[in-house]
Amino acid sequence: MHALSRRLRTRLATRFARWIRARQGEDRLPLTLRRNRLYILPTRAGLGFTALVVMMLLAGLNYGNSLALLLGFWLIGFLFVALVITHRNLQGLQLASATLSPAFAGDAARLSLQLTAPQRRRYALQLSLPSATARLDAVDCGGSARLECALPTVRRGRYPLERIGLQSTFPFGLFRAWTWLHLPFELIVYPVPRGVRALPASAEEADQGSAPLGAGHDEWSGLRPFRDGDSPRRVVWTAYARELPLFVKEYSGASAESLLLDFDRLGGLDTERRLEQLARWVIDAERRGARYALRLPGVRLDADSGPAHRRRALHELAVFGCAESGR
Amino acid sequence: MRLPAGSAWMLGVFAGAVALHADRLPPLYWLAAAACAVWRWYDDRRGAQRLPSIWLRVLIALGLLAGVLLQYRTVNGLAPGTALLVSMGSLKLLETRRDRDRYVMIGVALFLTLAAALDRQALLRAPLYFGVTAAACVALIYIGAGATTVPLRSALGLTLRTLLLAVPLAIALFLFFPRPAGTLWALPRETTALTGLGDSMTPGGISQLSESDAPAFRVRFFGAVPPPAERYWRGPVLHDFDGYTWRRERGRIYRMATLEYSGPAYRYKIMLEPHEGHWYFALEMPTGAPHAGVFMSFDYQLLSAEPVTEVVSYELTSHTATRSRDALSALAQRSATSLPPNRNPRSVAFARELRRRHAPVDAFIEAVLEHFRANGFSYTLTPEILDLDSVDDFLFNTRAGFCGHYASAFVTLMRAGGVPARVVTGYHGGEWNPIGGYYIVRQSDAHAWAEVWIDGRGWQRIDPTAVVVPERLTRGLYDVIPGAQSGVARFARRLPLLQRLRESWDAIDAWWQERIIGFDLRSQFALLRGLGFDAPQWRQLGWLVAAALVVWIVALLVLMARERPPRLNDPLAVCYRRLCNYCARRGVPRAPHEGAQAFAARLRRERPALAARVLPLLREYVELRYTPIAPDTGAQRLRRLRRELRRLRFGVA
Repeated sequence: MHALSRRLRTRLATRFARWIRARQGEDRLPLTLRRNRLYILPTRAGLGFTALVVMMLLAGLNYGNSLALLLGFWLIGFLFVALVITHRNLQGLQLASATLSPAFAGDAARLSLQLTAPQRRRYALQLSLPSATARLDAVDCGGSARLECALPTVRRGRYPLERIGLQSTFPFGLFRAWTWLHLPFELIVYPVPRGVRALPASAEEADQGSAPLGAGHDEWSGLRPFRDGDSPRRVVWTAYARELPLFVKEYSGASAESLLLDFDRLGGLDTERRLEQLARWVIDAERRGARYALRLPGVRLDADSGPAHRRRALHELAVFGCAESGR
Repeated sequence: MRLPAGSAWMLGVFAGAVALHADRLPPLYWLAAAACAVWRWYDDRRGAQRLPSIWLRVLIALGLLAGVLLQYRTVNGLAPGTALLVSMGSLKLLETRRDRDRYVMIGVALFLTLAAALDRQALLRAPLYFGVTAAACVALIYIGAGATTVPLRSALGLTLRTLLLAVPLAIALFLFFPRPAGTLWALPRETTALTGLGDSMTPGGISQLSESDAPAFRVRFFGAVPPPAERYWRGPVLHDFDGYTWRRERGRIYRMATLEYSGPAYRYKIMLEPHEGHWYFALEMPTGAPHAGVFMSFDYQLLSAEPVTEVVSYELTSHTATRSRDALSALAQRSATSLPPNRNPRSVAFARELRRRHAPVDAFIEAVLEHFRANGFSYTLTPEILDLDSVDDFLFNTRAGFCGHYASAFVTLMRAGGVPARVVTGYHGGEWNPIGGYYIVRQSDAHAWAEVWIDGRGWQRIDPTAVVVPERLTRGLYDVIPGAQSGVARFARRLPLLQRLRESWDAIDAWWQERIIGFDLRSQFALLRGLGFDAPQWRQLGWLVAAALVVWIVALLVLMARERPPRLNDPLAVCYRRLCNYCARRGVPRAPHEGAQAFAARLRRERPALAARVLPLLREYVELRYTPIAPDTGAQRLRRLRRELRRLRFGVA
């Protein structure tokens, strides 16, 4: 019986969620929380409070007791106003931007929403996902605040972000106003960087059998303007200090160490172990400042280095073998 | 460790709600509540959860339940229910761990407030009820906030604002929400001993008359007011005498003699204070019952089916002179002349002797009154206790008493002489309250007189006390007997200002009782008639409620939708905003991303004329804002800037 009712409830909730998703569509940032996407219902405390007020009114009517009636009517008005205040606490709130940073499996991914409150100060906002919750005390009037939420991860892969509930019961806890956010985000979970195999020899070494690992000295071939994703280590800070634009040193390809991280060369391991080993290597290679190429079945990343490259490589490892998510 | 704000407010609200009942509640319960609250408080402060075990709690719960049962013999009813609620609430204090428990406690506190409102509705208590309710709302904020600190000012401000916005709706619903005409189900309540007239009278057993200033009822006359000597307010009529105590007739009903009314008709409204009895008071002699649920008994008492436990108001018409041409039935005649055998023998013998000498009824009555007048009888509020043959003792021994003694003795003599007679109790007089425009009749105005049956005229009032102290009827008790007043009242009478204050307070109290507490379906219909509905109906009330609701909600939404810009406490920022608004009104609004400098540059480009006026002030603002300046010169320059700004905005030279 209990199991049945729970199953029924889950099914109803799923239907309802799907209906809301279809009704609201996918959210594009920045978005403003308007009335048509705000929902409000009494909380358990609110239901109890309402029952109490009804009881007051019944007692007042029955005994012709004006004072009880006055108290009851006053609290009815109070309930109404509380409902409006709770609704207004969310209404007009803006979600300026959102980021979802990837994480290694087992670590927490960070979901961060930038909220701005153009009309008035907002209080006690709560973010809720099936797997995590977070709370923000206030967003100042005209200001903005960041609501951050740590999402636990278990296995590598790409996961569509569950719908996010943004809710508030401020101020009296009698009503809960909320909205559902359907952000077009995917949670990317990298494989755990783990493995004991040594970093493969550099590509040149493998080809020519010359220069030992790590001995490549930086011989730069020229400067070029900074592009997103360039390693800060290559920025010419001295030039920047002289109020010149950001420049990045470019190295001649031959002199930089170049590694090949190849899935197929990791014999004797199953797929997940291989991905974990590759993740380990990516991190180690990046830390060493080496250029590295990645080869996976069906994936080919040319040799490069820097945070952007590292991210690309880890991303490929995370989504390897996963279908595009349904969005 | 500090007590969490949610817990502190919860404790406070509960304590306040219990305090509303403190004077009625047996000490056991509020002591239990206090003990539990202290335990909770101490426990919360230490941050440790060292609360009593479940077994101990169950034990305490059973103990308190047993206490309620022992004390009240029931759990049904206001007082036992309150005691039960207080004890269960106290126990709940010992196990509040989660927010849910705290919300439950707030519910208990509100319930206790409701019980208090059902119990007593005095004007002075009403603010306490509203206060506890408002505090409960503040507590809701703090419970919901959890660990987050909420400044007290904002919590109070928010609650007050919410409650104030609710007031118009509360008033509209109070006025228009249709009330049922009667009680749907009754609340068992214990009768408390209130001061006032009882349904028996034992003049011989009283050595000191109460000097209570408490109001018995208030009367508002519509039109003519009867002269002071005619202001007899009829209450319980007493028939049965055992030689010492007069009691009401029980179980026997006689035919009511039809009355012919004469003299002017007085229309008036009485606001009767609760006295727990079934009788309504009326100016002698009312023409009938005021409304359904009240009937007139054979001895012209107004009796209601329900005891008067709350203020009731009713309208009546009375005539001060009546007669009846009916004949008294033999049974009624026997009852109205019966005396206890072998009691008051001297009085009985004296009456028979007197009657033998004065055969006509009028002459006999006059002879008895003459006896009181001529033999040194006096009026006192502190009579001696009489022995069991109380009338004998009074007539031939003490010769001093108050109205009860005279009425009792007079009726006894009448009955002994063969004239049907009975004692009527009630009030006499009334004090004019010029502020409220009504007469107030106090408990100290209680009076007793006699009624005798005269063939061809029916029951006629005889007031033997008036023979002894004729001034009593025109000047009021206080002026006749200097010691008959409580100290406060005596003091108040000497100082006109104080007297005035007392009258004002009573007028406010009367207004509260009449207009607010006594507001019912009849008042609603009267209100509807005042609004122009000729035939008031429930349905019209329903429409008015709906209309009020719609208007209120729309007003609320409009009021709340008007966004106010954030309050600035910084005078310099206020100056800047005004300056920007000034430019905006002249067609050059500052864009949100523009700083003061960029805005100034754009102004110069787009509107050189405007810029010439505004720029010096803008520059001054920038300097005051962004360059380090000594505080005193800064303040001076700020004052100058504000002056300049005023000159710019209002064109003041």
